[in-house]
Amino acid sequence: MSGTRARTRAVPAALAASALVLAGCGAEGADDGGEWTPQQPIEITAPADTGGGWDTLARTSSRIMEDAGLVDQSVQVVNKPGGGGAIGWSYIANNAGDPHKLFVTSPPILFVPLAGESDHDHSDFTPISRLATEYMTYLVPADSPMETFDDLVDELEDDPGAVSVAGGSAPGSMDHVALAGAADAAGVDAGELNYVAFDGGGEATTALLGGHVDAAVSGAGESMELIEAGEVKALAVSASERVDVLPDVPTLTELGVDFTFDIWRGVMGPPDMSQEEIAYYESVFAEMMEQDSWKEESSKLGWTDTYQDSADFEAFLDEKHTEFVDILDEVGLQ
Amino acid sequence: MDTLTQLVSGFSVALSPENLLFVFVGVLAGTIIGILPGLGPMTAIALMIPVAFGMDPTTAIIMLAGVYYGAVFGGSTSSILLNAPGIAGTVATSFDGYPMARDGRAGKALAVAAIASFVGGTVGVVGLMLIAPTLSKVAVSFGPAEYFGLMVLGLTAVVSLAGKNVTKGLISAVVGVIVALVGIDSATGTLRFTFDRPELYEGIDFLIVALGVFALAEVFVLLSRRGHGGAQGGVTSLRLSKREVRAMTPPALRGSVLGFFTGVLPGAGATVASFLSYSTEKRIASDGDTFGTGNIKGVAAPEAGNNGAAIGSFVPLLTLGVPGSGTTAILLGALLVLGVRPGPMMLEQHPGVFWGVVASMYIGSIVLLILNLPLIPLFAKVLNTPKAVLLPLVVVFCVMGVYGLSFSVFDLWLLIGFGVLGFLMRANSFPAAPLILGLILGGLMERNMRQALQISGGDWSVFVTKPIPAVLLALAAASLLPTVVGLIRRRRARADRGWEVPAA
Repeated sequence: MSGTRARTRAVPAALAASALVLAGCGAEGADDGGEWTPQQPIEITAPADTGGGWDTLARTSSRIMEDAGLVDQSVQVVNKPGGGGAIGWSYIANNAGDPHKLFVTSPPILFVPLAGESDHDHSDFTPISRLATEYMTYLVPADSPMETFDDLVDELEDDPGAVSVAGGSAPGSMDHVALAGAADAAGVDAGELNYVAFDGGGEATTALLGGHVDAAVSGAGESMELIEAGEVKALAVSASERVDVLPDVPTLTELGVDFTFDIWRGVMGPPDMSQEEIAYYESVFAEMMEQDSWKEESSKLGWTDTYQDSADFEAFLDEKHTEFVDILDEVGLQ
Repeated sequence: MDTLTQLVSGFSVALSPENLLFVFVGVLAGTIIGILPGLGPMTAIALMIPVAFGMDPTTAIIMLAGVYYGAVFGGSTSSILLNAPGIAGTVATSFDGYPMARDGRAGKALAVAAIASFVGGTVGVVGLMLIAPTLSKVAVSFGPAEYFGLMVLGLTAVVSLAGKNVTKGLISAVVGVIVALVGIDSATGTLRFTFDRPELYEGIDFLIVALGVFALAEVFVLLSRRGHGGAQGGVTSLRLSKREVRAMTPPALRGSVLGFFTGVLPGAGATVASFLSYSTEKRIASDGDTFGTGNIKGVAAPEAGNNGAAIGSFVPLLTLGVPGSGTTAILLGALLVLGVRPGPMMLEQHPGVFWGVVASMYIGSIVLLILNLPLIPLFAKVLNTPKAVLLPLVVVFCVMGVYGLSFSVFDLWLLIGFGVLGFLMRANSFPAAPLILGLILGGLMERNMRQALQISGGDWSVFVTKPIPAVLLALAAASLLPTVVGLIRRRRARADRGWEVPAA
């Protein structure tokens, strides 16, 4: 079943790649007349409540796109909360071929289906652009005897179960995988980790601040204030290069741990979008990210711009999917 | 002294015409949205976020904070008048508020709620101003084991909410706990009782259950009774006698303090605060047995508690950047977008924002009181609406509130299901309040217990070797003692008298 799906998806991906080349040419020369433009208001779905990360991304994008006049149509944000995203995704899947219905997305589109909690996964949708990335930080309380990531690894090697590590998502989801992947790459048995799931990153960092857990995994955006204030120590960040918002925190890569974890944010569309439609949105989002207002907002939120076009984004998703399946297998959750 | 100068500068921020206007706008919008059954502070803030985009950050947070406590206050109005709480924090208010309204004392109930809210809000703001930085330590001192103790203590309130029949109360509470288990189990990621419905993955929202078993069930009960149902006559009198003021003052003050400190704990919040205040007052009041039949102390305590807690929840938000509840999580999201990153650095980096917000809360509390006292007679007139008009309206608002949560028709079926359940419970004299308590606290209790055990490596002794959980659990046991002793004594007395006197 999924094999067929992968094959049918490969065709539009190839087309999208060639469309990009065409779009690149078009930008320099004259219009070739075959370009697609939206015919009605564009709807960006946030598959969650107002106020969350997806909602913030959707509202920020729509505002900048409208303010900068990047689209002729209005851009409306629609909230479809429920099922950790599954409700919103099935809404988009039911609008196959409608190029006016986009949605904002991030790693849960890989994790939720892997947990068997969604009928749709990333391969059911049309990747449009990856926009920005936030990285994970590995934290310990300010008064912890652990000073470096190596200290943490040592403790974990001694007795993985004795070190409680808090995260803001269910086992098998983001924070857990970011921890398990790093532990695995550092040579620790990821299946033996004592991961304590909290309801959201806020609760996890609170437990850390109170010294109720030994360590925590949390998004850089959520933790940078506490790191700056010296309330917690960041042992490492899950990037390959140092992150602007946390210049003093070493990366896993430079510590010799071959693992990165991106909390990427991107935009996808419903199934069956044409190459022209994809090309149109690719250039809109690429332009959006050139706006000063975007740069300002994204640094406020602790994001790093990491644009990818449709084809690269799709390849990235497939690669991450395979990687996560392996990690979950390691942890014993797949 | 330093605090005072800071506060003065805060007032100069809050008293600027623009900020003053938006305190008013926020409080007004919050109250109006909060009054509608089914719409609580979360919805209110979510609705106002788009308005706040692009505002000056200080003005925006002042307005959103106003929306928040305005909505907490507004929620009590629908609890009292229609038995339709819009948020968990005002459920306890309906226990005595609604009976008062049915007795024709709606005006008084609303006045007590307004004044107690004002007291709770004011005590909360004073606390926030004086001890917020110190309190951030208290907020994080509660880990999973401590919360478990707190939730157990909260759950012992079942006994006082159960009314005459403790067994039926316990059954009702257990049903509530079972409902709380529906959804993805956060400790393992396992789906529980979801029957392959993605709509159930995130659990059943509290609001659906509360509106079902309280508001819809009440509509069904009123429908099944012939003749006029609503309260009549003397509805509009809101004047409180000296005796009443004297009666409500201590519960309001105790509720405020208890509420503020409970609110400071992320994860406890307004609901736990209002239930704790209510059950504490019921236990210590000389007329405790009249709680649940329209005792003004039973309105004053939870109202002061939930407003104190609403302000208290700003402590972890502003000093640690940690949201203590769903509502403050939304607020945090809005602040981040506005470029204000609450946290330990906020007092140093944005003192104007912090003190401006504190000062605006003083102003907001006063605006709330001025706005609401004159409106009470108007609100209370709702009860004079003919049944044929009022009941369908209540149903409409319940449906709107639930649909607005998720835009899911599935949730509407759940609402009707819980309405029928609530009606059947009423018909067989099962109290509904323990169900709500079990739903709210049971889920938190389970989660925290498992987190605590996971951290301790499965060692149960953490609940008694750590001081805070040990004290909380001991308090819980002590609070059950009188009931148990009472039950034994009654049984013995009955045995002495033989069987000729059946229980009344």
